[in-house]
Amino acid sequence: MNETFEPQIVAYCCNYCAYAAADLAGSMRLSYPSNVKVIQVPCTGRVDILYLLRAIEDGADGIYVAG
Amino acid sequence: MIVADRKSLDEIQEMIKDYKKILLVGCKGCVTVCNVGGMKEVQVLSSILKIARKKEGRELQVEERTIERQCDFEYVEQLRADCDRFDAILSMACGVGPQFLAEAFPSQKIYPALDTKFFGGAVQHGIWEERCAGCGTCVIHFYDSLCPIARCAKSLQHGPCGGSANGKCEISEDVDCIWDIIVRKKMEQERLEDLRTYRAFKDWRSARDGGPRKSIREELVQ
Repeated sequence: MNETFEPQIVAYCCNYCAYAAADLAGSMRLSYPSNVKVIQVPCTGRVDILYLLRAIEDGADGIYVAG
Repeated sequence: MIVADRKSLDEIQEMIKDYKKILLVGCKGCVTVCNVGGMKEVQVLSSILKIARKKEGRELQVEERTIERQCDFEYVEQLRADCDRFDAILSMACGVGPQFLAEAFPSQKIYPALDTKFFGGAVQHGIWEERCAGCGTCVIHFYDSLCPIARCAKSLQHGPCGGSANGKCEISEDVDCIWDIIVRKKMEQERLEDLRTYRAFKDWRSARDGGPRKSIREELVQ
Protein backbone atom coordinates (compact mmCIF):
# COMPACT_ATOMS: atom_id res chain seq x y z
CA MET A 1 0.00 0.00 0.00
CA ASN A 2 1.55 3.31 -1.01
CA GLU A 3 1.11 6.68 0.69
CA THR A 4 -1.35 7.94 -1.86
CA PHE A 5 -3.73 5.06 -1.23
CA GLU A 6 -7.21 6.32 -0.66
CA PRO A 7 -9.73 3.72 0.40
CA GLN A 8 -13.05 3.61 -1.37
CA ILE A 9 -15.71 3.81 1.31
CA VAL A 10 -19.35 2.92 0.82
CA ALA A 11 -21.62 4.66 3.30
CA TYR A 12 -25.09 3.25 3.88
CA CYS A 13 -27.06 6.16 5.33
CA CYS A 14 -30.45 6.12 6.98
CA ASN A 15 -32.98 8.28 5.14
CA TYR A 16 -34.15 9.90 8.36
CA CYS A 17 -30.90 10.91 10.03
CA ALA A 18 -27.50 10.32 8.43
CA TYR A 19 -28.72 10.85 4.87
CA ALA A 20 -30.72 13.90 5.97
CA ALA A 21 -27.54 15.20 7.63
CA ALA A 22 -25.56 14.61 4.44
CA ASP A 23 -28.29 16.42 2.52
CA LEU A 24 -28.15 19.34 4.92
CA ALA A 25 -24.35 19.42 4.65
CA GLY A 26 -24.84 19.68 0.89
CA SER A 27 -27.26 22.60 1.30
CA MET A 28 -24.64 24.26 3.45
CA ARG A 29 -22.09 23.75 0.67
CA LEU A 30 -19.93 21.60 2.92
CA SER A 31 -17.80 19.06 1.11
CA TYR A 32 -16.80 15.53 1.96
CA PRO A 33 -14.13 13.33 0.35
CA SER A 34 -15.05 11.99 -3.06
CA ASN A 35 -13.93 8.48 -2.11
CA VAL A 36 -16.95 8.19 0.18
CA LYS A 37 -19.93 6.91 -1.77
CA VAL A 38 -23.21 7.54 -0.03
CA ILE A 39 -26.07 5.09 -0.51
CA GLN A 40 -29.43 6.04 0.88
CA VAL A 41 -31.37 3.31 2.66
CA PRO A 42 -34.89 3.67 4.09
CA CYS A 43 -33.52 2.65 7.49
CA THR A 44 -30.23 1.07 8.58
CA GLY A 45 -32.36 -1.89 9.61
CA ARG A 46 -32.58 -2.55 5.87
CA VAL A 47 -28.81 -3.06 5.67
CA ASP A 48 -28.06 -6.72 5.19
CA ILE A 49 -24.79 -8.62 5.46
CA LEU A 50 -25.03 -9.11 1.68
CA TYR A 51 -24.91 -5.33 1.15
CA LEU A 52 -21.60 -5.28 2.99
CA LEU A 53 -20.17 -8.33 1.24
CA ARG A 54 -21.25 -7.27 -2.26
CA ALA A 55 -19.71 -3.82 -1.74
CA ILE A 56 -16.38 -5.39 -0.74
CA GLU A 57 -16.69 -7.90 -3.58
CA ASP A 58 -17.12 -5.04 -6.06
CA GLY A 59 -14.05 -3.17 -4.86
CA ALA A 60 -14.94 -1.15 -1.77
CA ASP A 61 -12.15 -1.01 0.82
CA GLY A 62 -14.42 -0.15 3.71
CA ILE A 63 -18.03 0.38 4.59
CA TYR A 64 -19.79 2.44 7.12
CA VAL A 65 -23.34 2.24 8.22
CA ALA A 66 -24.73 5.50 9.52
CA GLY A 67 -28.10 5.79 11.14
CA MET B 1 -35.39 -31.08 11.16
CA ILE B 2 -31.85 -32.03 10.23
CA VAL B 3 -29.51 -29.51 11.83
CA ALA B 4 -26.17 -28.61 10.28
CA ASP B 5 -23.35 -26.10 10.66
CA ARG B 6 -21.33 -24.58 7.88
CA LYS B 7 -17.82 -25.91 7.47
CA SER B 8 -15.00 -23.47 8.14
CA LEU B 9 -14.06 -21.19 5.28
CA ASP B 10 -10.55 -22.69 5.27
CA GLU B 11 -11.94 -26.18 4.78
CA ILE B 12 -14.27 -25.11 1.97
CA GLN B 13 -11.53 -23.12 0.26
CA GLU B 14 -9.19 -26.11 0.43
CA MET B 15 -11.83 -28.32 -1.23
CA ILE B 16 -12.37 -25.97 -4.15
CA LYS B 17 -8.87 -24.49 -4.47
CA ASP B 18 -8.22 -26.00 -7.91
CA TYR B 19 -11.48 -24.85 -9.45
CA LYS B 20 -12.31 -21.61 -11.23
CA LYS B 21 -16.01 -22.02 -11.77
CA ILE B 22 -18.29 -23.66 -9.26
CA LEU B 23 -21.99 -24.17 -8.83
CA LEU B 24 -23.09 -23.45 -5.27
CA VAL B 25 -26.35 -25.24 -4.52
CA GLY B 26 -28.58 -24.51 -1.56
CA CYS B 27 -31.56 -26.46 -0.30
CA LYS B 28 -34.93 -25.06 0.75
CA GLY B 29 -35.50 -27.89 3.24
CA CYS B 30 -34.16 -28.30 6.77
CA VAL B 31 -30.96 -26.31 6.21
CA THR B 32 -32.98 -23.26 5.19
CA VAL B 33 -34.94 -23.52 8.42
CA CYS B 34 -31.78 -23.78 10.52
CA ASN B 35 -30.26 -20.83 8.62
CA VAL B 36 -27.26 -22.61 7.22
CA GLY B 37 -27.92 -23.68 3.64
CA GLY B 38 -30.80 -21.70 2.17
CA MET B 39 -30.82 -19.02 -0.51
CA LYS B 40 -29.48 -16.37 1.85
CA GLU B 41 -26.59 -18.51 3.07
CA VAL B 42 -25.77 -19.46 -0.52
CA GLN B 43 -25.51 -15.77 -1.45
CA VAL B 44 -23.34 -15.03 1.59
CA LEU B 45 -20.97 -17.97 1.06
CA SER B 46 -20.71 -17.18 -2.64
CA SER B 47 -19.69 -13.63 -1.88
CA ILE B 48 -17.23 -14.67 0.84
CA LEU B 49 -15.57 -17.25 -1.44
CA LYS B 50 -15.23 -14.72 -4.25
CA ILE B 51 -13.70 -12.12 -1.91
CA ALA B 52 -11.32 -14.72 -0.44
CA ARG B 53 -10.22 -15.84 -3.91
CA LYS B 54 -9.76 -12.23 -4.98
CA LYS B 55 -7.42 -11.71 -2.03
CA GLU B 56 -5.29 -14.54 -3.43
CA GLY B 57 -5.14 -12.67 -6.73
CA ARG B 58 -7.20 -15.29 -8.53
CA GLU B 59 -10.72 -15.28 -9.80
CA LEU B 60 -13.56 -17.55 -8.78
CA GLN B 61 -16.84 -17.68 -10.63
CA VAL B 62 -19.73 -18.87 -8.56
CA GLU B 63 -23.24 -19.49 -9.80
CA GLU B 64 -25.88 -19.67 -7.10
CA ARG B 65 -28.86 -22.01 -7.17
CA THR B 66 -31.21 -23.04 -4.41
CA ILE B 67 -33.51 -25.93 -5.14
CA GLU B 68 -36.59 -27.12 -3.29
CA ARG B 69 -34.84 -30.15 -1.80
CA GLN B 70 -31.59 -31.89 -2.61
CA CYS B 71 -32.92 -35.17 -1.20
CA ASP B 72 -35.34 -35.68 -4.10
CA PHE B 73 -34.10 -36.58 -7.57
CA GLU B 74 -37.01 -34.64 -9.14
CA TYR B 75 -35.53 -31.40 -7.85
CA VAL B 76 -31.90 -32.41 -8.37
CA GLU B 77 -32.77 -32.96 -12.06
CA GLN B 78 -33.29 -29.20 -12.39
CA LEU B 79 -29.50 -28.83 -12.24
CA ARG B 80 -28.75 -31.31 -15.00
CA ALA B 81 -28.84 -28.85 -17.89
CA ASP B 82 -26.22 -26.62 -16.27
CA CYS B 83 -24.04 -28.89 -14.20
CA ASP B 84 -21.47 -29.61 -16.91
CA ARG B 85 -20.62 -25.93 -17.23
CA PHE B 86 -18.86 -26.02 -13.86
CA ASP B 87 -15.58 -27.42 -12.58
CA ALA B 88 -17.29 -28.63 -9.41
CA ILE B 89 -20.49 -28.41 -7.39
CA LEU B 90 -20.51 -27.28 -3.77
CA SER B 91 -23.61 -28.38 -1.89
CA MET B 92 -25.05 -26.47 1.04
CA ALA B 93 -27.46 -29.26 2.01
CA CYS B 94 -27.18 -31.85 4.75
CA GLY B 95 -25.07 -34.94 4.00
CA VAL B 96 -27.89 -36.35 1.90
CA GLY B 97 -27.68 -33.56 -0.68
CA PRO B 98 -24.11 -34.06 -1.96
CA GLN B 99 -24.75 -37.80 -2.19
CA PHE B 100 -27.89 -37.35 -4.28
CA LEU B 101 -26.00 -34.91 -6.50
CA ALA B 102 -23.13 -37.40 -6.80
CA GLU B 103 -25.55 -40.15 -7.80
CA ALA B 104 -27.39 -37.94 -10.29
CA PHE B 105 -24.23 -36.50 -11.87
CA PRO B 106 -21.57 -39.23 -11.61
CA SER B 107 -19.04 -37.42 -13.81
CA GLN B 108 -19.17 -34.20 -11.79
CA LYS B 109 -17.12 -33.44 -8.66
CA ILE B 110 -19.37 -32.75 -5.66
CA TYR B 111 -18.29 -31.26 -2.31
CA PRO B 112 -20.18 -30.63 0.95
CA ALA B 113 -20.12 -27.15 2.47
CA LEU B 114 -21.88 -28.21 5.67
CA ASP B 115 -21.24 -30.48 8.62
CA THR B 116 -24.49 -32.32 9.32
CA LYS B 117 -25.10 -32.55 13.05
CA PHE B 118 -28.34 -34.10 14.27
CA PHE B 119 -32.15 -34.28 14.21
CA GLY B 120 -33.38 -31.53 16.44
CA GLY B 121 -35.22 -28.28 16.84
CA ALA B 122 -34.69 -24.65 17.75
CA VAL B 123 -34.97 -24.17 21.53
CA GLN B 124 -34.47 -20.45 21.07
CA HIS B 125 -33.48 -18.22 18.18
CA GLY B 126 -30.06 -19.37 17.04
CA ILE B 127 -29.82 -22.41 19.32
CA TRP B 128 -30.70 -25.92 18.16
CA GLU B 129 -30.69 -29.04 20.29
CA GLU B 130 -30.73 -32.74 19.48
CA ARG B 131 -34.02 -34.49 20.13
CA CYS B 132 -34.00 -37.64 18.01
CA ALA B 133 -31.32 -40.23 17.27
CA GLY B 134 -33.25 -41.84 14.41
CA CYS B 135 -32.89 -45.25 16.06
CA GLY B 136 -35.74 -46.65 13.97
CA THR B 137 -37.87 -48.00 16.82
CA CYS B 138 -39.32 -45.16 18.83
CA VAL B 139 -39.63 -45.81 22.56
CA ILE B 140 -40.37 -42.33 23.86
CA HIS B 141 -43.92 -43.28 24.86
CA PHE B 142 -42.30 -45.11 27.81
CA TYR B 143 -40.68 -41.88 28.94
CA ASP B 144 -43.39 -39.23 28.54
CA SER B 145 -42.09 -38.28 25.10
CA LEU B 146 -38.61 -37.48 26.34
CA CYS B 147 -36.00 -39.47 24.49
CA PRO B 148 -33.21 -41.05 26.55
CA ILE B 149 -31.69 -42.56 23.40
CA ALA B 150 -30.92 -39.15 21.92
CA ARG B 151 -30.63 -37.09 25.06
CA CYS B 152 -28.77 -39.31 27.52
CA ALA B 153 -25.03 -39.39 26.77
CA LYS B 154 -25.10 -43.15 27.37
CA SER B 155 -28.56 -43.73 25.85
CA LEU B 156 -29.59 -45.40 29.12
CA GLN B 157 -33.13 -46.74 29.12
CA HIS B 158 -33.58 -47.77 32.76
CA GLY B 159 -32.75 -44.70 34.80
CA PRO B 160 -29.90 -42.26 35.38
CA CYS B 161 -26.29 -43.24 35.88
CA GLY B 162 -24.07 -42.10 38.75
CA GLY B 163 -22.94 -39.13 36.70
CA SER B 164 -26.23 -37.30 37.14
CA ALA B 165 -25.88 -34.42 39.60
CA ASN B 166 -28.19 -31.49 40.26
CA GLY B 167 -30.09 -32.17 37.07
CA LYS B 168 -26.98 -32.04 34.92
CA CYS B 169 -25.06 -34.70 33.01
CA GLU B 170 -21.46 -35.39 33.97
CA ILE B 171 -20.26 -34.68 30.45
CA SER B 172 -21.05 -30.97 30.73
CA GLU B 173 -22.71 -28.40 32.93
CA ASP B 174 -24.56 -27.30 29.80
CA VAL B 175 -26.23 -30.67 29.28
CA ASP B 176 -29.37 -31.53 31.20
CA CYS B 177 -29.63 -35.07 32.53
CA ILE B 178 -32.67 -36.29 30.61
CA TRP B 179 -33.26 -38.95 33.24
CA ASP B 180 -33.53 -36.27 35.90
CA ILE B 181 -36.22 -34.62 33.76
CA ILE B 182 -38.01 -37.90 33.05
CA VAL B 183 -38.10 -38.91 36.74
CA ARG B 184 -39.24 -35.48 37.87
CA LYS B 185 -42.05 -35.47 35.33
CA LYS B 186 -43.15 -38.96 36.35
CA MET B 187 -43.14 -37.87 40.02
CA GLU B 188 -45.12 -34.71 39.26
CA GLN B 189 -47.71 -36.74 37.42
CA GLU B 190 -47.59 -39.44 40.15
CA ARG B 191 -46.71 -42.08 37.60
CA LEU B 192 -43.25 -43.04 38.84
CA GLU B 193 -44.39 -46.67 38.98
CA ASP B 194 -44.31 -46.69 35.15
CA LEU B 195 -40.54 -46.86 35.36
CA ARG B 196 -40.69 -50.17 37.23
CA THR B 197 -42.11 -51.89 34.18
CA TYR B 198 -39.85 -54.58 32.77
CA ARG B 199 -39.32 -54.16 29.07
CA ALA B 200 -37.75 -56.33 26.44
CA PHE B 201 -34.37 -55.36 25.05
CA LYS B 202 -34.56 -52.60 22.52
CA ASP B 203 -34.06 -53.94 19.03
CA TRP B 204 -31.05 -52.01 17.76
CA ARG B 205 -31.15 -53.65 14.36
CA SER B 206 -33.44 -50.85 13.23
CA ALA B 207 -30.77 -48.31 14.23
CA ARG B 208 -27.40 -47.83 12.51
CA ASP B 209 -26.25 -51.09 14.10
CA GLY B 210 -28.21 -52.94 11.43
CA GLY B 211 -26.33 -51.18 8.62
CA PRO B 212 -27.68 -48.65 6.12
CA ARG B 213 -31.44 -48.44 6.37
CA LYS B 214 -34.25 -48.24 3.86
CA SER B 215 -37.93 -47.47 4.18
CA ILE B 216 -40.33 -48.91 1.62
CA ARG B 217 -43.97 -47.87 1.37
CA GLU B 218 -45.54 -50.50 -0.79
CA GLU B 219 -48.57 -48.35 -1.59
CA LEU B 220 -46.35 -45.65 -3.06
CA VAL B 221 -44.01 -47.90 -5.00
CA GLN B 222 -44.97 -48.17 -8.66
